Amino acid sequence: MSRLEAKKPPLFISEPLTRDAVSQSLCLLSGILKSSYGPAGRLKQLHNGVGGCVCTTSQSSALLGHLSISQPVLRVLTASVRNHVSRFSDCGLFTAILCCGFIENFRSLNVAPFTVIKISKHLLSLCMDHLKSEACGCRVSVDFSSVETLVCLVQSILTSKPACMLNKTEVHHLTSLVLKAFIFTVPCHVETNAVLGKCVVIPVKGRRVVDSAVLPGLLIEAPEIQLGKPLAVKRTGSNMIKIALFSVSMSGDGSNPEEGTIAVHHGVSLEVSELNQLLNVGKQLVKDEVGLVVCQKVMHPSLKQYLKENGVVAVDRAGLSLMEPLGHVTGSQPIASIHSLSPGCYGSLKDLCVESFASKHFLHLIPEDTVICSLILCNRSETAWDELKRVCETAEHVLQLTVKEPWALLGGGCTETHLASYIRHKSSSLPASTFKDLGCSQTQYQLVADGFCRSLETVARSLSHDGEEVLTDVVYGHCWFVPSGSPCVSRWSDLVSKCGCGVNGNTEDLSWSFLQGQSGSTILQGCPKEPSVKVADLQTLDCFAAKCSGLQVALETASLILDLSYIIEDQN
Amino acid sequence: MAARACSHRAATGDGAKSFVVLLAAVLGGLRAAGTGAGLRRALRDFETQVLERVAARGLRRHLRPVPPGALEPLLEPYLAGRLGPGELRRLARLCAEMCRRCSPTAASRPQVLRLLGRRFAELHAAVPGLPLASSRVLPGIVLRRDFAAYCPTDGELRALLVTEPLRLALTAPGVEFVVDSEGQYQASLRWITKRTEALMKHLQSNNVKLLLSSVKQEEVVIHYAKLYGVSVVECLSSEEMALISEITGVSPYAPIGDNMDREISETAVVTFCQPLLLVSRRCVHIGLASVCAFLPHCLILCGPVDGVNEQHAAALQGAYTMLQQLFKTVDQREDWKVEGESQSKASDVCTWHSSATQKQLVIENTCNTNQVSECRLKALSDETERKIFDPDKSDLLVHNQKNHSIPVLVAHNTDIVTTCERLDVGKGLEKMCCHIVPFKQEKSCAGVAQDYSNCLIEAGAVLPVGGYFEILLHYYIQDYAKQCQQSEVTIVSNVVADALLSIPKALYRTAERDGFTKFYLEAINLLRKNQPLPVNNEGLESVYCKYQLVTSVLHCITELLSTDLVIGIRRPLQKTEDCDSEDDP
Repeated sequence: MSRLEAKKPPLFISEPLTRDAVSQSLCLLSGILKSSYGPAGRLKQLHNGVGGCVCTTSQSSALLGHLSISQPVLRVLTASVRNHVSRFSDCGLFTAILCCGFIENFRSLNVAPFTVIKISKHLLSLCMDHLKSEACGCRVSVDFSSVETLVCLVQSILTSKPACMLNKTEVHHLTSLVLKAFIFTVPCHVETNAVLGKCVVIPVKGRRVVDSAVLPGLLIEAPEIQLGKPLAVKRTGSNMIKIALFSVSMSGDGSNPEEGTIAVHHGVSLEVSELNQLLNVGKQLVKDEVGLVVCQKVMHPSLKQYLKENGVVAVDRAGLSLMEPLGHVTGSQPIASIHSLSPGCYGSLKDLCVESFASKHFLHLIPEDTVICSLILCNRSETAWDELKRVCETAEHVLQLTVKEPWALLGGGCTETHLASYIRHKSSSLPASTFKDLGCSQTQYQLVADGFCRSLETVARSLSHDGEEVLTDVVYGHCWFVPSGSPCVSRWSDLVSKCGCGVNGNTEDLSWSFLQGQSGSTILQGCPKEPSVKVADLQTLDCFAAKCSGLQVALETASLILDLSYIIEDQN
Repeated sequence: MAARACSHRAATGDGAKSFVVLLAAVLGGLRAAGTGAGLRRALRDFETQVLERVAARGLRRHLRPVPPGALEPLLEPYLAGRLGPGELRRLARLCAEMCRRCSPTAASRPQVLRLLGRRFAELHAAVPGLPLASSRVLPGIVLRRDFAAYCPTDGELRALLVTEPLRLALTAPGVEFVVDSEGQYQASLRWITKRTEALMKHLQSNNVKLLLSSVKQEEVVIHYAKLYGVSVVECLSSEEMALISEITGVSPYAPIGDNMDREISETAVVTFCQPLLLVSRRCVHIGLASVCAFLPHCLILCGPVDGVNEQHAAALQGAYTMLQQLFKTVDQREDWKVEGESQSKASDVCTWHSSATQKQLVIENTCNTNQVSECRLKALSDETERKIFDPDKSDLLVHNQKNHSIPVLVAHNTDIVTTCERLDVGKGLEKMCCHIVPFKQEKSCAGVAQDYSNCLIEAGAVLPVGGYFEILLHYYIQDYAKQCQQSEVTIVSNVVADALLSIPKALYRTAERDGFTKFYLEAINLLRKNQPLPVNNEGLESVYCKYQLVTSVLHCITELLSTDLVIGIRRPLQKTEDCDSEDDP
């Protein structure tokens, strides 16, 4: 009999944001995230005291996935960021830091949450309209006919995660591989509905990053194949290799999906019967001039031997995840029955060869024309490889997102400071009817707008980790970094050379000022100007779609949290 | 109390909080007045004698019809009680857009709203990780799983619903299959495979290119489906199957028997069938040709986290239930005119369609045989018949008499609306058979000076939000109470009238300090001078819902006051059917 425990009453927490415990946790979380942000971000080591492996990372998905968070308020925040990352792969830290910033800045205002939310929603719509307008000064269009902007975009992503432990040549090498892999996935003959292909990442740990490579087609691990021997594959009349793909088990163990019982007479062996059937299938395959047989599950050794003797390459245990790309590459239908083979199921390959990377042997399936490619990704250590894999996948995803919306945002904090100065300018020149519609006073609007801008600037400031001074200019509203320990000089232009994204130099006097987040520190001179962008100058770019969505999600989540006046927790 | 409040909310989609506020205020008032058996009876009389007359005489003058095509003014105040200020406008717009696109004509709206409220879980797909601004309404329906097999086709195609595995089994549970020889065993397996292939061929020759299956199909089935160009969607929930059946009017196909030559007649027409990427998850997106008034559309609901999406979905579902109430009317009770009958009362739930020239009354009645004795049912149907014969046009009526299943809604004492709603769900399609009767009834009742038909509050009647309903009702109840002779009814009237004010008081509490007093004095002054109340632009609310709230609260209180003892028992109460099947080792 199980022990019955008395039901505990639910726990009520009123005004959760005013509680010390919540503020402290929020502060700690935002500290962890801010210190991880950007190319100079500090790494975090995640490990369990009991043992097991250590994860060194500065990525939001890894950090938030492993942290155990007990405060319901923060659980909402992390769930929201993780959902964003699962959708866009990029800008997770940006979203999280911005969301924390919104909560911290809006909470301290003496304005009712209802009003704050309405005003901030209006500010967000100003931002989104600006980002989507042609006149936006922090947006560049991505030209797919030249490689430069794409290189900059990929490089920014690769360098933003220091735990990958990449040097400059490695970054260059990987950038070109990622771009090559992406180009392989773009179909050559575009019909009405173009569908991008897939890049399969193959792990090779313990090798140098520069050993990584990208190959068109698919690689299947085949431990039984000897490297030395040339691969003799049967070809059909048109010099193609016929391939049969089996999704059904060919082990001959007679596993039946039947629910009832099967009674077998003495002397009848179902196993023998199954094996005979398998060998019949083998004969049929040989007769049909099949050159390669791939089975998702296990293949009976006798069948394998039979196929080998007849010059058919047989690979088993391919696994479920490879089945879809295999079908894509070869154009074959996975066969689900060993009782009837229809010739329509076979696919074809242009060539088949053996490759080997770091003591692993692979069969390389080379198709005629494909959108599937394989990226052999090498890195020295396990944890650095994991980080690198996530970064490469992010880069692929960002390129795919950029195809849909061919823009990128200026990186290095410049988008954030630009948006902040745009909002400061815009919010000071709104007609009185806006305040009436929102049901607030102009002062309230100014207070919220200021908190909004400070939150954006917090993100830009989080890029500085070594005590660099962060400046902004009043002409373009870009973000500038002054190395720490610089001598005191009268003119800022002697210390700064380029802004965060690299578009602006120090040639003209841009009247810099500190970006300290205190209200009124920036002198408004009008709408921030649109700089003339030379692609060669660009140093960092961010994904447009991910950042736009991150901005919206951050504000929506912050609104949700600010609106909480009770937490009711069931303790049973 | 909580159960009553929840059942009220489930029925009208609104008012759980107001229910509690009003209930507490009335109970408090009654306690102050001193309880007694007389008061309890007076409470019962109050509803029929005072409330209905007040509604008929006073309230009706202030009601206005819902502006055509404008759902947002109704939706915004409703959603404001459930959502944060940031999401409100966007969701109200989505909700209205969904409603408009699913029912392009106003006539089909009540029916479509009922379906939306009932099947909203299947008619929306939540996407976490995207901002709310990315939400949209898509034509067709989205099934939240990937194709088991997808063969691209363009243009219209036919779909088949199946509920069992298409591959025949060698044996079944409890069945023994005897293997005599190896050859026989292999032949049997081969025959099964061939038969599966033949079935797919048969489907292909019948132009069936989509299989919608509620069970998981074997790999062989998927394999042959791909070979013969048939797309397959598996593991559909029973709700999804029911929705598809309801929209297309098609029932599942049973492929039993060797008769493969038979043409497959029960197929659904699918206008398009394609994969849809939602949060890097592939879903099935199909367009269905509808046989009912509902034009299938699906709402893609985006939000940063799942919890928010759930909250939004619940709010929207509630909104559809609320809108549904808008098209209902409050009728006067039968026993107001006809005497006797104190326990069970009948009310017709009527729907007004304002067609071009004449008004048609649609009586939607459902039957609950459990609660009605036979003679009662007869009496009611007599009344219904009488009502049908009342108008002079009778050719339509003959037809009505033929399909003589006059279903009657029986509201057992306290929970009118709950019973009605529960039946609603159960009956589903049957409800569509309703009696349409030309209706032009303008009776004058002797007791009351004014003219009114037997419907107290017409369908689509609305009032501005912000306590107007409560103030109006308060004013007219007090007004009536002054003329009333029975002292106990007067006491109850005054208690209820004062309690009604607790709702606007709660509403104005968050605003300025003396906001309520100002609003109250202004409104009462205007009413005394017989002037129309000022109009605000904040939104509208359905009077039907509000009226139901008051009656539900009154019923709840009657029940509470009738209880004199609460007895705690050791063992939980059990349902009657399984009470004798335990304890024996």
